[in-house]
Amino acid sequence: MAILRKDLIRELRTREMLISMILFVLLAMVIFHYAFTVKEGADLTYFTGGMLWVTFIFAMLLGLNRSFAQEKDERCLDGLLLCPVDRVTIFLAKTAGNLIFLLIIQVVAVPVFTLFFVERSYVGDLLPFLVVLLLADVGICALGTLLATISMNTRSRDLLLPIIFLPLIVPVLIAATGATTLIFAEGAGFGGLLARVLFLLGFDAVFVVAAYGTYDFAIGE
Amino acid sequence: MKQLISAPALFVGAGICLVSGLLLAFLYAPVDASSMGFSQKIFYYHAPIAETALLAFGIAFVAAIAYLRTQNPKWDRLGVVCVRLGLLFSLLVMITGMIWGKAAWDAWWAWEPRLTTFLLVCFLYIAYLVLRSVVEEEQRRATYAAVFAIIAFIDVPITFFATRFLPEGLHPVVIGTGGSGMEGSMLVSFFISMLGMTLLLVALIRRDLAVEDLKDRVADLKHSIGG
Repeated sequence: MAILRKDLIRELRTREMLISMILFVLLAMVIFHYAFTVKEGADLTYFTGGMLWVTFIFAMLLGLNRSFAQEKDERCLDGLLLCPVDRVTIFLAKTAGNLIFLLIIQVVAVPVFTLFFVERSYVGDLLPFLVVLLLADVGICALGTLLATISMNTRSRDLLLPIIFLPLIVPVLIAATGATTLIFAEGAGFGGLLARVLFLLGFDAVFVVAAYGTYDFAIGE
Repeated sequence: MKQLISAPALFVGAGICLVSGLLLAFLYAPVDASSMGFSQKIFYYHAPIAETALLAFGIAFVAAIAYLRTQNPKWDRLGVVCVRLGLLFSLLVMITGMIWGKAAWDAWWAWEPRLTTFLLVCFLYIAYLVLRSVVEEEQRRATYAAVFAIIAFIDVPITFFATRFLPEGLHPVVIGTGGSGMEGSMLVSFFISMLGMTLLLVALIRRDLAVEDLKDRVADLKHSIGG
């Protein structure tokens, strides 16, 4: 808990990470608009899920690199490792911290995204949408935290993270994109999304357990 | 030394199985009655290669767990050898799969679940090798590689499952003829090829491990003469 509070307080004081992540996300949307609008009045509805998740995953890559670069540069991590806490606690705190940052970004980004790209009102599907969002976020953050811990201890750091993170996160991308597009484009209740939601739930469970089991080794001596 | 002597026997065994599997596939097994026809022949090599690739990654997964438990560098060596060979076999899977795809679907590439999964598998294990290359300290490299090998191997079936969510698109003919339509003579030819491919993998693993041993000894000797 204390680690989580430290990360949050630190970020609230400097705000450097959140502001740049939010700007990145907004810019990505503008870029997507220009990249995908190939003719007048082109219908982007079936690209919305993809745009949203590509943006979040790339934003998370930025955030993950930052969150550990600070630890490493200012030798906070050495201090953390000296603490008489379980290494796995550090994992949980870090994952929770990253999750909170991602959620804060989404609170800003999703309404703007809806304004820009989504033509259909999905108020009726808000609950399924939030469930999908949260489940996918948990998977992204758990896996991301584990891999960022590994990559920050290597020579090439932020170069390595995308290479090891992106191929592993593809299943989440597939399921979350499919579910989100369905919601934005057609409005599917829980029934239509059930398979994807269960899949995301399973993914989260498997990787939280796997990361939990291996984090001790990842964080090193 | 012992390993080096037994490796040729394995290679010979693998060679006999693979050649006879090939001969049986063309001379003994009938031409597939379904729509695939003659192009189905590549199945006798394609599927065994795929299974061997997965076997190699499976061994790497087990070796990774063993390494994390024992910290014995021999497991790390087994892991990296298996990943390298698994990657080689995966590339062969993609190539034979594309040849088959051209014959069956008239397209070199299709976003078909199996093909897509193998593409991601390739990226995953290339990432494994990249990860190894950027960590200098040996013990740390072995540990990170083991963690990644575990996570990557867990991800493979999940990815395959996830690709099922994708729209089926233009290619309704999914290759899954597996056990359903195989006659006895086909099965025999198939299993002989599979045995050959597995023997080949074992032989290659042993040879590569021997090479790694020699590398270590050379490094030690160099060190001892002050190089």
